[in-house]
Amino acid sequence: MEKTIVARTGNEAMAEAMRQINPDVCAAYPITPATEIMQIFSSFVNDGLVKTNLITVESEHSAISACMGSAASGARTMTATSSQGLALMHEILYIASALRLPIVLAEVNRALSGPINIHCDHSDTMGERDAGWIQIYAENSQEAYDLLINAVRIAEHRDVSLPIMVSTDGFIISHEMERLEMYPDSEIQKFIGEYKPNYNLLNIDNPITVGSLVLTDYYLEHKRVQHEAMKNAMKVIPEIFAEFKKVFGRQYDFVENYKCDDADYILICLGSTAGTSKVAVEELRQEGIKAGLLKIRVFRPFPAEEIVKYISKAKAIAILDRSESLSTQAGPVATEVKAALYDAGKIIPMQSYVYGLGGREIYVDQIKDVYRKLKNTKISEQVKYLGVKE
Amino acid sequence: MTKKPDIKTWKDLNVGGIIESGTSEHFKTGDWRVKVPVWQSQNCIQCMTCWAFCPDNAIKVTDEGKRGNYDYNFCKGCGICAEECPVSKKVINEIKKAAPNANITSWDAETNQTFKEKASILMVSIKDAKEKYNIK
Repeated sequence: MEKTIVARTGNEAMAEAMRQINPDVCAAYPITPATEIMQIFSSFVNDGLVKTNLITVESEHSAISACMGSAASGARTMTATSSQGLALMHEILYIASALRLPIVLAEVNRALSGPINIHCDHSDTMGERDAGWIQIYAENSQEAYDLLINAVRIAEHRDVSLPIMVSTDGFIISHEMERLEMYPDSEIQKFIGEYKPNYNLLNIDNPITVGSLVLTDYYLEHKRVQHEAMKNAMKVIPEIFAEFKKVFGRQYDFVENYKCDDADYILICLGSTAGTSKVAVEELRQEGIKAGLLKIRVFRPFPAEEIVKYISKAKAIAILDRSESLSTQAGPVATEVKAALYDAGKIIPMQSYVYGLGGREIYVDQIKDVYRKLKNTKISEQVKYLGVKE
Repeated sequence: MTKKPDIKTWKDLNVGGIIESGTSEHFKTGDWRVKVPVWQSQNCIQCMTCWAFCPDNAIKVTDEGKRGNYDYNFCKGCGICAEECPVSKKVINEIKKAAPNANITSWDAETNQTFKEKASILMVSIKDAKEKYNIK
């Protein structure tokens, strides 16, 4: 297959993926740093490059509501947002997943207020981790582009039928120009295929009730069904990734294993920090320290077994959380990895860190320091702040 | 031995909890009412505005396409029909013209005799409705 090599920012890459996906409907409201995605996409609509019905709305709450109506009417539907925008969508996100509407959301990670801040951390998407959406974190523009294309297939798979968000790190990836390999439009269309909705609200020959009231008698059962759909996603995601590799040649998985197999010390993180950490791993290995990196790409459903598989032989583990749950225990990534290890009967010394909030830079030297300190890490370490002024 | 009741499990639910249409017919909501609308057919101009504005399906249409009476099984007493009724509005205007300081709205129907006589739709208390209009 002929690949076109271009220079694109994360936002441009996501907008290009949306152009090639050519969804039936997009409803969105602009917000920094995700504004560009829809700005670029709207120029594609204006230029007639897509047949998408673009709905400009008055808020993110309206954007996701319009998306839900559109998806319930059998249209392939996408949107984009960030931070406060995602937070404003909060109540509707739960309804979209309960109604099993495969909306695809291009997300750009940005800190939640307050204090008000426009730069990267994962507090926005982590705040929605229990909303019943599949969550995928991209490390760079290429992943953002590829994973958004995969997302359509995963979300629309009959056994899954769940909404999905693919996120990039705000400004770090969304506004950074990178090398991007693009695939032909026709191949993308062939890969995603035609959307066959589960139901259609507008089919007057078969009128249905969408979003009916469910009280004490069946609410629990409805959640059990969503739980099963997430479990199905655990099976479906590797199938779609394998098919993607067959067609486009790039391998994806729930996690990225970077030299974990023989590693004594493993660091776990999400998103762009993985790129910085790979440099740290290489430099430490030259010093003779067996460092490894496990990047969690799919956070919902949480790939507990996959993670344990790669880290269970480590002498100590460091977990970097780019969001704060303010439980005083640890961030969400560390908490869930700990739970996964408990279920596997493993107890490994672990140091969890909160870092990079509000776009605070993280450097190779800081990550190398994290690795070096793992040597003396005990079983029950308290969470630490990395790079905080004290 | 008692037979196990035939209950649907989570596996029997439709994707997205979709169910057949028109199920609200089986869920009677009329007992939420605090005030009751009363239709005075002799004053009605058959404009069907109330029917269009009713947020539920509580105003029936007859086979001849005329406004029928209320279906009190579903009327929640919101008063939108009385508020939107142009005949009731006209009455209010007339009253205001006659007595500028009267501050009368459609909700004052039961206290104002003139309005009560001319209005197409009255909003009355449950107690009054039971006594005068035989509405449950």
